[in-house]
Amino acid sequence: MAEQFTFTVNGKTVTTDQDKPLLRFLRDDLGLTSVKDGCSEGACGTCTVGVDGIATKGCVITTRLAQGRTIETVEGLTHEEQEAFVYAFGAVGAVQCGFCIPGMVMSGAMLVRRNPDPSEEEVKWAIRGNICRCTGYKKIIEGILKAAAILRGDERMDDALEKGDDYGVGERAFRVDVRRKVLGYGKYPDDLAREDYPDMCYASAVRSKYPRARVVSIDTSKAEALPGVVGVLLARDVPVNQVGHLIQDWDVMIAEGDVTRCVGDAICLVVAEDEATLAKAKRLVKVEYEVLEPVRNIAEAKAAGAPLVHDSFNAFGNHVVLHDNVCQSRHITRGDAKAALAASAHVVTHDFETPFTEHAFLEPECAVAFPYKNGVKVCSTDQGAYDTRKEVAHMFGWDAEPERVVVQTMLVGGGFGGKEDVSVQHLAALAAVRFGRTVKCKLTRQESLAFHPKRHYMYATFTLGCDEDGHLTGLDCEVNFDTGAYASLCGPVLERACTHAVGPYTYQNTDIRGFGYYTNNPPAGAFRGFGVCQTEFALEACMDLLANEVGISPWEMRWRNAVEPGEVLPNGQIADCSTALKETLLAVKDVYEKNASHAGIACAMKNSGVGVGLPDAGRANIRVEGGRAVVYSATSDIGQGCNTVFLQDVAEATGLPLEALANGECSTEAAPDSGTTSGSRQTVVTGEAVRGAAFLLRDAMLDVEAGRPVPQGPVRAKGDGKTITYEDGTPYQGVGYADGSALVAGHGIHPADPRAALLALEGHEFGYVYFEPTDKLGADKPNPKSHICYGFSSTVVVLEEKGPNRGKIKEIYAAHDSGKVVNPIAIQGQIEGGVLMGMGYALTEDFPMKDAVPQAKYGTLGLLHSTQIPNIHAIYVEKEHLLPVSYGGKGIGEIATIGTAPAVQNAYHQLDGELRWRLPLDDTPYSRKRAWGDERLSVLKGAEE
Amino acid sequence: MAKRMPRVAVVHCAGGTAPLDGIVREELPHDCAQIKAAHPNGIGVCSWGCLGGGSCEAACPFGAIHVDPERHVAVVDRDACRGCGKCAKACPQHLITVAPAANVIQVRCSNQDRGPTARKACPNSCIGCGMCERVCPMGAVRVVDGRAVIDDEKCVACGMCATKCPRGAIHDANGIMAVR
Repeated sequence: MAEQFTFTVNGKTVTTDQDKPLLRFLRDDLGLTSVKDGCSEGACGTCTVGVDGIATKGCVITTRLAQGRTIETVEGLTHEEQEAFVYAFGAVGAVQCGFCIPGMVMSGAMLVRRNPDPSEEEVKWAIRGNICRCTGYKKIIEGILKAAAILRGDERMDDALEKGDDYGVGERAFRVDVRRKVLGYGKYPDDLAREDYPDMCYASAVRSKYPRARVVSIDTSKAEALPGVVGVLLARDVPVNQVGHLIQDWDVMIAEGDVTRCVGDAICLVVAEDEATLAKAKRLVKVEYEVLEPVRNIAEAKAAGAPLVHDSFNAFGNHVVLHDNVCQSRHITRGDAKAALAASAHVVTHDFETPFTEHAFLEPECAVAFPYKNGVKVCSTDQGAYDTRKEVAHMFGWDAEPERVVVQTMLVGGGFGGKEDVSVQHLAALAAVRFGRTVKCKLTRQESLAFHPKRHYMYATFTLGCDEDGHLTGLDCEVNFDTGAYASLCGPVLERACTHAVGPYTYQNTDIRGFGYYTNNPPAGAFRGFGVCQTEFALEACMDLLANEVGISPWEMRWRNAVEPGEVLPNGQIADCSTALKETLLAVKDVYEKNASHAGIACAMKNSGVGVGLPDAGRANIRVEGGRAVVYSATSDIGQGCNTVFLQDVAEATGLPLEALANGECSTEAAPDSGTTSGSRQTVVTGEAVRGAAFLLRDAMLDVEAGRPVPQGPVRAKGDGKTITYEDGTPYQGVGYADGSALVAGHGIHPADPRAALLALEGHEFGYVYFEPTDKLGADKPNPKSHICYGFSSTVVVLEEKGPNRGKIKEIYAAHDSGKVVNPIAIQGQIEGGVLMGMGYALTEDFPMKDAVPQAKYGTLGLLHSTQIPNIHAIYVEKEHLLPVSYGGKGIGEIATIGTAPAVQNAYHQLDGELRWRLPLDDTPYSRKRAWGDERLSVLKGAEE
Repeated sequence: MAKRMPRVAVVHCAGGTAPLDGIVREELPHDCAQIKAAHPNGIGVCSWGCLGGGSCEAACPFGAIHVDPERHVAVVDRDACRGCGKCAKACPQHLITVAPAANVIQVRCSNQDRGPTARKACPNSCIGCGMCERVCPMGAVRVVDGRAVIDDEKCVACGMCATKCPRGAIHDANGIMAVR
C-alpha cells in the first residue's frame, strides 16, 4: 500500500496518498479557493495557510510534511476572526484586487493568535513574505492592527459601515467586494473548477526558449499518443493566426518554418484531461529550432542590416509593410522649440534611461472557455471584456459577428495595464471550440513574466530651457522606447509619453520626437502611468537642474511654472476649472522647504480618459431586478474599486442605500461596452454614464411618488458632458440638472422614500451613453482639447539625512488633485499603492535581460516588501469648482505612481549633488549590488588569512 | 522609532561528525581557542564544525546557548537568546551569526570541502550541490566556497530550500519544513 499522509484541515481529518504541495491538495482536492496560486514558487505569499498556528506557504509545504499537523485556511478561522478581518480590512480600505488578501489574513491571524497586541513593526515582519502590489501595505498593516484590536475587545465593529445606508459620493464606502475577497469565496477564473464544469480539461502552450529562432519542425506525435491527451493544436489550426490589441502582429502560434520573436512565443497548444498529463505531454513535444541571433536592444534594432522583427502588421484594416524596426513614431511640435531654447537664459540637456519593469500583479493570467450558443464563452481576468471579445473574435475570423464570443470578466487579481492584451483567453477559446469542451488555460508565473507586455524601456535625451526668472521657455526631446517583440499598446503609450513629456507647466515651445522599436525582448505595452512615468522622470530631473542654475528652490521653480485654471498647457489645451496643481504644491511646500537639503519634489499630470479624438464612450444600464437597482456596465474592476464607485454614483443620484444596489454581471452579453480599464478613465467616463442612467432612474422614482405615469419601455439618453438628450432627441429636463445643482455631490434631489419608489419600478431599465468628444493629436485649432480632464500631483520625498540610515527614504508626501474624492477610504490606498510602486521603480525594480532572455523570477524583480515601506502621507486637495461630469471625480489610478520616482531622484540629488539619470537609481542604500555572503563571508575569509 | 525586531544567534553546524582517531571529547579543555590551538585541523572528520568546548556557553550572559552533550554541538535556546552576538565573537570556528528571529530557515553547516569530502565528513553536511540556490524564489541562497549561505536580508523564510535539500542541512526552527 502506498504511503499515506494524514492531517487535519479546518478541523477535519483528511488522508491522501499523494505527495504534492499542500497548495495543490487544498485547492484541487478540497476546493478551498481562499488558498490562491500566485506563483507556486514560495515568493508571493498568496497561498499562506496556518500550520500548527504558524503562517506557512502552502506551495512550499507538502502533504508529506503536513503529516500529523493542523492546517487552517481562511475558511477555517473562527467566526469572530472572520468577522473581525472582514470588518477591519473593509473599514481601512485594505482590499483592492483581493488576490493577496486571504494570505495576508492568515499571516495576520496567526500573528494575532500568538500576540494579541502586536506592534506595527511586528505586523510588518509577519507579512514580509506576502507581496501586495495594490495597497502599498499600509492599509493591510492597519487592517491587521484593527482586527487585533477588535479581537482583544479594544475596538468595536460599526455594522452600519458595511450595510452602507449612506453610500453617496464622498462617503466612506465599504467596498462591495470586501467580504468575498477576505473570505476567499469570490471567484477569479482559476477558482472555476471541475465542480462547476465537469467536462473541464486543461490547456497549456509549449513555448519557445529562444528569443529568435526558426522553428524547423514540431513533432507532436508522442504527446498526442499519450493517454489523457485531448489533442494538440498548431498554428494551422488557428483560423486567423494573428491577434493584437490595436495593431495585429502577434502570432497566436509560431508555425513551422516561421521565426520566433521572443522567449515564450507559443509553438503549440497541448490540451489534456488533467494537469499532470498536460505537463507530461508538453515534455513529449519535440521542437527543432535553428537558433538565430536576437535583436537585443534599440541600438541593434536601429543598426544597418538589422534583421526585421516584423516585416508587416495589420492596423485598423490596413496591411502595413515595414522596412525597419520602427513599430511606432510620433512627432509633436508646438511653437518653435529651437529658437526658444537658443534665446533662453538657462538650458540643460541630459540623457535618461529607464528599465523594463514588470506589473507583478498577484494573479497570473487564467481563462476558462466553453462552447456557448453559436460560439464560445470565455471567463476571463482582463481589463476590458469587449477588448478581449474583439481579439478572440478576430482570431476565429468573426470580425463581423463578434457577439459569437461572449466574454465575462471575473474578479481580476490586479492588472496595472498588464492584462489589456489577450494572453490565455484566445487559447482557451480556441481549444474549447475545437474540442467542444470546457478548457482552462493559465500561465505559470514564469510564463507570465516572459509573456505579458512590460513597461517600456526608455532611452531619452531631454533639453529644457528657461528665462532668468525660471519661467520655462521650451523643450526639445527624443524619446526612444523598446517595445519588444510585439506592438501591444506601443502607439498610445509612446504618444502619452510624448504628450506628457512637457509636464504640467505653461510654456508653448516644444519639439518632441518619439520612437518605439521592435526588438526580440519581451513585448512592452501598458503599465500604470502609460509611458508618462518614463518621460516625467526625465523632465522633473531637468526642472531641478534648471532651478539650480537660476538659483531658486526647486519648489519655487515649479510654482512659477505650474498651470492654473484658464491657462494653456503645452499641448494647447486650456486647463479647466478643476485644475488644482498649485493647491497640491502648497500642500507640500512646508515639508519640502523644511527638509530641502535632503528632500526631492516632483509634479506630475495624467490624462483621464482615452481622448485624442477617439470614440471613448462610457455606457451603463440600470435595471430594477428583485427590488434592487442593478448596474450593468462592462468595465473591469481590477482592484481600483470602480464597481464601488458606480454604486456610490447611483446612491448619490437616487438616495438608495447599498442594500438596494448591486453590480450586474460584467459580460459582453449582459452589459454594454464601457471601454477598457485604462487611462484612469472608469471613475470619470463610466462614472458619468452611471450617473446619467441613475438620473433617469431617479426621475422615474420621482414620477412614481408624484403619481405620474412611468414610461413602460427602457428609457435611454446620451450626453456629451454639456447637454443631455433622450433617445428621441428631446432635451433632458430632469430636476436639478439645468441649474447644475444636482450635479454636485450632496445636493441631489431624491424621492422621499427611495426604496418604495424603486419597488414600483421592478423590471424597468434605464440606459445612458456618455461620450465627450476630444480633438485628435495635431488638430488644427489654437486650443485643442486632447482629454476630458487631467489629474495633477506634487510629491515630496524626504530622506534620512544623518546616521546609519542616511539616504533611506523616511517619508513620502503625495498631494493629489483628483477632483471630487468619491470614496475617501479607497483613494488613500490608491495613492499609497501607487507611491510604493513608484518607489520600487525608482530604487529596486528591474527586469534584466541577457541576450533578450529575461533573467528575473517573481521573487527577484525587486518588489518592495512590507518591511521596506516608508511613511507615506496621502494628501488630496478638493477644489470648490469641479467638473460637471461624474460629480467632479477625476482619475487617480495612474497618476499615483508617476511623481514618486522623479521625486526620489531629486531627493538624492539634493542630498549629494549627484544626478542619477538611470532607473533604478545607482548608489543608494537600496541598490542591489551587495556582494554574496557579505558579512559572514568576510568574517570567514578574514579567519583564513 | 519602531521597536527593533528580535534577533537570535544561529549556529551553522548541526553536529554529527565522528571524532578523529585518538580524540576523546571528554578530555578536551573547556575552551575552544585552546582546542583549536592544540588541534589546528579540528577534532572531527569535518574540520569546519563545532569543537564543543563551550566558549560560546561561557560567553553568553543569558544562558541561552549550550553544548548538546549527545550531539556535541552548540544549540541556541531561541526564547532566551537576546541576539547580543557575544557567542559569535567567542567562536574560533566562526560558526555563529546573529540573524532576525523571523528568519527561521538557516543553513546548519559550514563545511567548505568539495562535495564528496563533505559528504563523507558528516551525515548533516552541505555538499554544495546548489539545489537550494536553484529553488530559492528570492535569489537569497548561494553556494559560496562549497556551502550554502543565506542572505538574511533577502530571505523571507519560505522554507523552499529546506524542503528540497537532499542532505537535510537546512533547518527550520519551527520544525515544519525540515525537522532535523
